[in-house]
Amino acid sequence: MNHRRILAGSLLLSLFVAFAVLVARAAPQYSPDIPDVDPHKAFGSKNAPVTMEVFSDFQCPACKTLFTTTNRRLMDDYVGMGKVYLIHRDFPLPTHAHSRVAARYARAAAQLGKVEPVEQALFQNQEKWEQSGDVDGTVAAVLSAPEMTKVRALVKGGALDAAIDKDYALGQTYRVNQTPTTVFHCKGRTYPYSGVMTYDILKQFLDQLLSQK
Amino acid sequence: MQSSPLNVRRAIIWIGRLVLAGSFIYAGYAKLTMDMHPRPPLGVALSFFALQVDSYQILPSWSVMFVANTLPFAEIGLGLLLLIGWRFRIWATLVTLIMLGFFVAVVRSYALGLQINCGCFATPEPLTIKTVIRDGALVALALLMTIFAFIEARQPHPWSAPEKAST
Repeated sequence: MNHRRILAGSLLLSLFVAFAVLVARAAPQYSPDIPDVDPHKAFGSKNAPVTMEVFSDFQCPACKTLFTTTNRRLMDDYVGMGKVYLIHRDFPLPTHAHSRVAARYARAAAQLGKVEPVEQALFQNQEKWEQSGDVDGTVAAVLSAPEMTKVRALVKGGALDAAIDKDYALGQTYRVNQTPTTVFHCKGRTYPYSGVMTYDILKQFLDQLLSQK
Repeated sequence: MQSSPLNVRRAIIWIGRLVLAGSFIYAGYAKLTMDMHPRPPLGVALSFFALQVDSYQILPSWSVMFVANTLPFAEIGLGLLLLIGWRFRIWATLVTLIMLGFFVAVVRSYALGLQINCGCFATPEPLTIKTVIRDGALVALALLMTIFAFIEARQPHPWSAPEKAST
């Protein structure tokens, strides 16, 4: 009886080893060059060892959580210190009625160098404009009248959709299908992650990436 | 009464052993290698898995790190123990409890509408109804495997020598 068990166990173990070898031979993954970076929506040094592309939707509650909690500390501790290059990507989900409009306003504000206050206003007042659809009023509250005139002109111009579509298409190449999705690039590798990140846990991951030789 | 070498219970135990052992070993291995070649440093893989554990929003930070640092190794170890069959009922029970834990976490996240990845294997896999069904099927298999293992243990093994007639 014991011989049969040992034989069966050895056979199964051999199968596992063969399987593990097959898995280990999986195709190498190297990060692609990061295309279409809008300098107005990118923060930190381009030469930072870690690049983070955050695909988000202004109408998504989890994106709001990520932006209003983790993102702020990330900006102070890693982006500002030249350790992380942070790129905001638009990924307006078709299920959200106003998220593309919000993305247009944020893009327009970015061209005036006002992306941070506008993104902040859009996320912090998400529940309000989500109900009313008043994206314009939300943005107008944090910009001066001349700035707002320029933003409205850019939004009406219709040229911003092309940039949003490029971000969306890029997200699809990373197989992004939910927001927020963060794609980390470091040392030629790509690490896609979906969901909100607690700062303490994100910090551990970034420190591990940065400590690689 | 002696159990037959080939009956439905034994077949389910063997299917459960193979499927669950294969799933556990692959899940643990994939978490450590992230399906990358060459594999990333262990610290990177484990801290990335910590992000996945954290996305379920169930555990506090300190236990997220504990789970992330131990679960992949535990999965590989339990998978191998299921295959080998040594103290099978103990490990089968443990695997079933772990599977139940996974299933509760997955159902809760799905019910809350969390937009997260499953974190089950290496590749990013959105948590959808398919994940819930797959985990449910694995839990059912683990439960059947464990219950049948206990039932079979009460009966003489079919390959054991017949008892000598008492004089």
